[in-house]
Amino acid sequence: MSHFFLMVVYALIVSLFFMLLWRRERKERIKLFLQLFLGMVGGGLLVAYLMYPFPPGPPAPIP
Amino acid sequence: MAEPADSNPTVTSPPAVVHPPVGNPYLAGVLAWLIPGLGHVYVRRRRRGLAFFVLVVAAIWIGCALQGNLAHPMANQPISALATLGTIGMGIPYFLLRSVFGYAGDLVAPSYEYGSAFLVTAGLMNWLLVLDAWDISRGKKE
Repeated sequence: MSHFFLMVVYALIVSLFFMLLWRRERKERIKLFLQLFLGMVGGGLLVAYLMYPFPPGPPAPIP
Repeated sequence: MAEPADSNPTVTSPPAVVHPPVGNPYLAGVLAWLIPGLGHVYVRRRRRGLAFFVLVVAAIWIGCALQGNLAHPMANQPISALATLGTIGMGIPYFLLRSVFGYAGDLVAPSYEYGSAFLVTAGLMNWLLVLDAWDISRGKKE
């Protein structure tokens, strides 16, 4: 599974959760879901884009 | 001469919406912690409780499928206590995974970090459900 796919699944679960927890009206739920989901996926892509020029470090040692 | 609207003493802010209390808040909180969504079922929010159950269990299942870390306290690693506190929020599934199924995760699995994020998120989401069930039971939320 790709990193992007897992990020989307994670964003989907968390967005659905807070949509149900914080809002009661259907329209408000959809609005909050879109804000959270697109914010997380878009934010993740933005951070990945900004980090792209930096070289990866050595792998972390296994304790 | 007409008075400004805000000087009218009869104008007041709308009353806060009050919801009827449902059940025992302590029991609602404990049930919500033991099994995700059960607290909401107890306070008669069955559909919401079922949806929360599906979401939290899905996060746990994906976390285990990705071989994530089921946090436990480790010596000289204080952060592990915080991670444990968050993850243990998933309630009975935590103890089932650790004690019955002997699940521990796989540190060298490529998806280990992702799985750990899913597992601790499941626990933290369920802590929020405990607070939500508590508030609903006390009549502070719908």
